[in-house]
Amino acid sequence: MTDDLALVERFLRGRGEDAFRALYRAHTPALYALALRLTGGDQGEAEDLVQESWVRALTALRTFRAQSALRSWLCGVLVNVRRGRLRVDWRIVDAPDAEPLADTTGPEDAIDLERAIAALPEGARDVYVLHDVHGYTHREIAELLGVVEGTSKSQLSRARCLLRSSLP
Amino acid sequence: MTDLPREAQPDLALEERVVSALVAAGLVRRRLAWRVWVAAAAAVIVLAFGLRTLRPTHSLTRGNTYAVLLYEDSVYRPAPAGHGSERVAVLSRWADSLRTFGEFESAGRLIGPGPLGGLFMIRAADDAAAARIAASCPFHQWGGRVEVKRFEP
Repeated sequence: MTDDLALVERFLRGRGEDAFRALYRAHTPALYALALRLTGGDQGEAEDLVQESWVRALTALRTFRAQSALRSWLCGVLVNVRRGRLRVDWRIVDAPDAEPLADTTGPEDAIDLERAIAALPEGARDVYVLHDVHGYTHREIAELLGVVEGTSKSQLSRARCLLRSSLP
Repeated sequence: MTDLPREAQPDLALEERVVSALVAAGLVRRRLAWRVWVAAAAAVIVLAFGLRTLRPTHSLTRGNTYAVLLYEDSVYRPAPAGHGSERVAVLSRWADSLRTFGEFESAGRLIGPGPLGGLFMIRAADDAAAARIAASCPFHQWGGRVEVKRFEP
């Protein structure tokens, strides 16, 4: 049994506050990082997103199955919560395939990249963050965002091109 | 993939905010703080002490069992026809008052020759207490005679 599954079962036994805090502390940093990037660095919006995501997640926690990692499942919940708040323009964007950006080499590079990600259009930002930062596949992104894989791929290319042009 | 950090620590206040929202939504049960436990324990102790103090002393009787015997002698005035149930009701209320203090065990009519018509089995601390209980029996008001004897099994 994984630690996550043990935490989930412990929580479901009594829905106690202590058991929830253990879940919260284990996974909120990842949720918050994702929320921050999806909201372009808006801390207040990111916190709201995290809070609503936990409400949705606990409502549906009994449906969680151990086949997927709890963190991925929670991130999926967060992405869906955000989808409900936004109307993203998912029209196919013609963009040439773009190579991944080179790894950041220092703190300043990372800050520049974070700023550039925050400035991306919503759809491109979502796909870039999920794919290039959090490691989701196009198939997973397509399922999470309710788009076809081709859309995910083209949004990623668009995001990479935009980032390349905006980074020093 | 980029090597940007995949985790970020939110403000500590967010945890409390999220927990409060989940408690309000009925999704998480609030843990009782130790102060609440201490207060609850203190309340139980005070309540128990208060009940003990307020409890009548004769309810703590751990003495003996007594038989309160009801005689229908020549001076006894039987209930008019059709009013027997009223006397039963009066005796039942008396028995209930004894039961409240843990002094009642059982009761019944005695069938057979002779004036002895019924009895109550009661609990009393000593002979004097048993006599006081017997003296309060409403059977007297109808001219009945009441005797009390300690029962030794």
